[in-house]
Amino acid sequence: MPKQKEAVRSFADVDFEEGAMTEFVPDPNQEVVLSVRDLDVGFMVRGKKTHVIRNINLDIYKGKTLAIVGESGSGKSVFTKTFTGMLESNGFISNGTIMFEGQDLAKFTTNEEWTPIRGKKIATIFQDPMTSLNPLLSIGYQISEVLIIHRGMTKEEARAEAIDLLGKVKIPHPEERYDDKPFQFSGGMRQRAVIAIALACNPEILICDEPTTALDVTVQSQIIDLIKELQKEYGWTTIFITHDLGVVANVADNVAVMYGGQIVEYGTIEDVFYHPEHPYTWALLCSLPQLGTKEEPLAFIRGNPPSFGEEIVGDAFAPRSAYAMNIDFVREPPIFKISDTHWAKTWLLSKYAPKVEKPLVIQELHERMKRAAQELANQEGGDYGQED
Amino acid sequence: MGSYLIGYTIIGLIIVFVVFSVLVRRGVMFANTPSVRRVFAHPLLHYSLRRLASSLISLVLVIIVTFFLIRLASPADETCTMLFRTPRMSEDVYNLLCDNWKASMGFEGSTIYQLGVFFYKILPLPKLLCISSVDTTTATYTITSCRTFIFDFGRIWNITGFTYGGYVIDYIGPKMGISFEIGIIAVVLEMAIGYPFGILMAKYQNGTFDKIGKAYIISVDAIPGIAYYYIWMALLCYCFKLPTVYEEGNFLSWLPAILTMAFTGCAGIGMWVRRYMLDQFNADYVKFARSKGLSERRILWIHVLRNAIVPLVRTFPTAVLGALLGTYYLENIYAIPGLGQSIMVSINSYDWSLLSAIIIISALITIVAYLLGDIVTAAVDPRISFTKD
Repeated sequence: MPKQKEAVRSFADVDFEEGAMTEFVPDPNQEVVLSVRDLDVGFMVRGKKTHVIRNINLDIYKGKTLAIVGESGSGKSVFTKTFTGMLESNGFISNGTIMFEGQDLAKFTTNEEWTPIRGKKIATIFQDPMTSLNPLLSIGYQISEVLIIHRGMTKEEARAEAIDLLGKVKIPHPEERYDDKPFQFSGGMRQRAVIAIALACNPEILICDEPTTALDVTVQSQIIDLIKELQKEYGWTTIFITHDLGVVANVADNVAVMYGGQIVEYGTIEDVFYHPEHPYTWALLCSLPQLGTKEEPLAFIRGNPPSFGEEIVGDAFAPRSAYAMNIDFVREPPIFKISDTHWAKTWLLSKYAPKVEKPLVIQELHERMKRAAQELANQEGGDYGQED
Repeated sequence: MGSYLIGYTIIGLIIVFVVFSVLVRRGVMFANTPSVRRVFAHPLLHYSLRRLASSLISLVLVIIVTFFLIRLASPADETCTMLFRTPRMSEDVYNLLCDNWKASMGFEGSTIYQLGVFFYKILPLPKLLCISSVDTTTATYTITSCRTFIFDFGRIWNITGFTYGGYVIDYIGPKMGISFEIGIIAVVLEMAIGYPFGILMAKYQNGTFDKIGKAYIISVDAIPGIAYYYIWMALLCYCFKLPTVYEEGNFLSWLPAILTMAFTGCAGIGMWVRRYMLDQFNADYVKFARSKGLSERRILWIHVLRNAIVPLVRTFPTAVLGALLGTYYLENIYAIPGLGQSIMVSINSYDWSLLSAIIIISALITIVAYLLGDIVTAAVDPRISFTKD
């Protein structure tokens, strides 16, 4: 956009960043478990460095559920993989710190360093339960293995505890299913078994990487309810990666919206769902079919997500945004604080930005949400069958 | 007579066993006796029986093809002329030799009759088989010995002595023994080298060892077998002064063949082990296992290796039973009197009984090896079940 670049020069003296956050401070009312500062992650692709996570600052609060939402390719999974050192072999952390229990996880390099963190402190549930379990080993063995390694149990103790855990994740007749192989379990039951493994680790933080995407709709809600229930019991901190805003509304305390390798908006669930400030969050919410009405065409986000091969200048979302200003193409927006719990990375919050009218859906968000919830409640009776 | 009785008892028992287990399976007998059903109605047993029954079709096809190929390659009268006609030979002697040869090769009567006889010989019924020697001066032949066989694989034709050198079974048996002795050591050795070789290559993928290993595998693949064998011969026999000719009971003289087989075979095994291991390394369950906090060593030995070996287990019985059949080139190079070179010997000496016996036995061994391969695969992979439902 060369034309707009020209135009910006004329107001170069104005301090657009006035009122922006100069230092990232966590919510003083919350206890921080894990804190990410200035995180940059790159990948070597065919000898070329790409910049996939760009300068992320985030605090994860104890006992809360954080949902990370965003399109495919926004870097959600890559971001959380850095917490357990599970980046692909060509990925690397080029800058920043990840502080967890007084250690900087970003400095870890060897598997020996990671072993006490992985599973034991930070456990992960992956997207596809069909492939997450070793097909040749029994479900019970795969649970006890963790108990023996992380909790130093004997074989017999581990067996008893594993059966107990299978019961906790509501697998019927756990003592009979202990010796079953994964192929004898349905998708939902496998995900339950995976959750049992996570339980066995008794972690501080549980990362759920799209735990329900591969499952049936009816099973999805059961799994999410199960995770919520267990979280209450065990008091762990959950990070939910998803692109299903319905799941977010159901589970999350806080929401981080990711775009182009950055968190563009962060806030409590009320902040983000009822007072969204970033045009990308608007676009995401508008494209929820449940919030549309019969008269208006289904909203979608035009264009493509940014390619990580090229260096991103300015606001990554600008080329696709209907609210982009000239400065969006030149300078990266800083973090503007909206409240103690809510911030967004957009020039629209600068005091020099013109007032814009939010899309209709966002303006009517309250009524539409209520209506959608009502519709959902009406359907619910018949839709949820018991699995197996 | 003794061996024939024992043979019959065994065949009878097998038939009774098969019939009994089919009846139990169908629920005709012992339908309510779980202990009997557990053994005789086991899905694995019935899978094996079905497989063996369907293998019979393959076997019959092999026999028919062999039968016609032999007759195409060697029309009886022409071969007779070529083998026995000499200017000084009297017509009587010629006819005697020729008829004798035809009779022993099953070249008498119409083609359909010959095919019937061909099948009859390998049916499990007692057959008397005799060895005779021909006196070319008096144009008579005398029977020197007779034996009853259940499977009649015929007699060895000894082209130089105009006589039958003995029974095919007596000829093949010891040769198989020799091939097996050498082959089984080679198989064990090639697995003992090949598996760690593949595992190490996968573990240190793209490392120095992996690169050297890949270069070795490619070179084994790229150099034609026969040239490769001579390279090893040069190395083993001229550099390390190992004997070049097989000697019974002298283990050192077996070594060149064993080592050549092992070093060739381990390249193939290493390649497959490496490939399957790398496939597994990228599997989701390995990522999950890592995220559970398991050590890399545990992931490798408990999780990855098991999964990588499953597709390879199938090759164990083939390798072991294949050792019975020997190898043609190596047995020729080191003059090992094994079964591998017998096939060429039999073709060169127009010994069709020997040839068809070797082919039928090879087919049988292959069929059994594949069946065993399926069974051991099922034993290590719980996902495979033998029930139809």
